[in-house]
Amino acid sequence: MQLDFSILIKYLPDFGAALMVTLEVTVCSLLLGLLFSIPLSLFKISSIKPLEWFASFYTSIFRGVPLMVQVFMMYFGVPLVLPVKFTAFTAGVLVFSMNSAAYISESMRGGIKAIDKGQYEAAMALGVRYGAMMKDIILPQAIKSVMPSLVNEFISLLKNTTLIASIGLVDILRVGQLIQSRTYRAFEPFFAIAVFYYILVMALSFLGKLLERWVNKSDRR
Amino acid sequence: MIDVKKLHKSFGSLKVLQGIDLHVNKGDVVSIIGPSGSGKSTLLRSINLLETATAGEIWVDGKLITQPDMRLHPGENAQVIIKAHYQDPYSLRRRVGMVFQHFNLFPHKTVLENMIYAPMTVKKESREVAVERAKELLESVGMLDKIDVYPATLSGGQKQRVAIARALAMEPDVMLFDEPTSALDPEMVKEVLDVIKKLANSGMTMLLVTHEMGFAREVSDRICFLDEGVLIEDAPPEIFFSTPKSDRAKAFLEKVL
Ligand SMILES: Nc1ncnc2c1ncn2[C@@H]1O[C@H](COP(=O)(O)OP(=O)(O)OP(=O)(O)O)[C@@H](O)[C@H]1O
Ligand SMILES: [Mg+2]
Repeated sequence: MQLDFSILIKYLPDFGAALMVTLEVTVCSLLLGLLFSIPLSLFKISSIKPLEWFASFYTSIFRGVPLMVQVFMMYFGVPLVLPVKFTAFTAGVLVFSMNSAAYISESMRGGIKAIDKGQYEAAMALGVRYGAMMKDIILPQAIKSVMPSLVNEFISLLKNTTLIASIGLVDILRVGQLIQSRTYRAFEPFFAIAVFYYILVMALSFLGKLLERWVNKSDRR
Repeated sequence: MIDVKKLHKSFGSLKVLQGIDLHVNKGDVVSIIGPSGSGKSTLLRSINLLETATAGEIWVDGKLITQPDMRLHPGENAQVIIKAHYQDPYSLRRRVGMVFQHFNLFPHKTVLENMIYAPMTVKKESREVAVERAKELLESVGMLDKIDVYPATLSGGQKQRVAIARALAMEPDVMLFDEPTSALDPEMVKEVLDVIKKLANSGMTMLLVTHEMGFAREVSDRICFLDEGVLIEDAPPEIFFSTPKSDRAKAFLEKVL
């Protein structure tokens, strides 16, 4: 069979739009996930047992249920029992961010635990209250050790967002399927998509490295 | 200034402090010495409420900072005492500065940020006021030229001088030092002791846990000897070091002098 990548050219605008969708879902999910992970990780280190139980139950759900099932559940299932209706975009972002929160909060907990007891004591001895201490002293240091897993999470999110094609959102994968159905060609579009994701992930890893260097600037001697 | 009354502290079944009575007047410099594990740090940390006393009371500047121990107030009502005298930990800690063995500077903040963080966050000072005082204090501990660096670039002695300045930035009435030079290389001990001496001579009320006997003798108004959670001697340095009363203190001094 003759390969002909020129058939992709007229679909470039679709790829462009789809790339935006993919990135939007990824970035929104990561940021929301990071936000949710903060209370979740604080619950995990809390001395208040019910909070701790809630957080570890939450994490176990997202670890234990396949992502595709979660997406279908949120998009098709939840609106049947609750008076809500999600767009595919919202449902996707909700599921992915709740997932990210579960994973990020695990490494955030590790990061918080690794912080020297003396940091808490110094803050307390200066009269700093719990909220300010966590926000200004403990979490900024914990985030540093979370950076590598944050970058990993970003990358796996990017790849996992292909699942939203299954609830009808036109992401990059979906564009590939459209091209296939119109041109009866499968190799070219999916190969292009594979290359696309590969380049995107490499670029992200590189950016992640830069970001890591930046947050670690205070360690340099 | 500081009044410790019948203070007890246990960790589980381990009795670390067993009825400490200690009084520190305003402007006094009191050194606490004693063998390892005798409870020196625990006593100091109790005064800053980093440890919670099991029994007994601590008063700082006329305010009760622990729960009232009703055995010390026979026939009185706990709620009345709390209402009249109790002060919460946050207000207390603003007035009591603490310096740790391992400095505990905030590594993600520059020296200046370390200095102004608590004054701005806790005392709600404006940035200008906080920076102004930070500069004065850094000048007085000889660290002004390092104002914009991160702690990782400093030597141990420099870190400790910044940590002392950081505690002073809250304008405390009392300073607590827990072995401020024990984690330092020998050549850096003096620069830190000089700063502490200057502070002692300025009239600051100080409680100092130290293994530097010469220094304790030089700056202290009184030496307290702690052994197995009991304060067995409390005397001016000339008396304590020349004629210790207890055999325990004699044995300890023989080892360390
Ligand atoms: N958080 C804690 N939990 C359990 N035991 C503790 C705790 N803190 C201190 N201890 C114990 O209490 C005893 C007194 O400790 P403390 O640190 O007050 O001694 P110290 O006189 O300061 O000794 P050093 O000179 O070694 O610093 C020790 O036996 C120590 O192991
Ligand atoms: Mg100690």
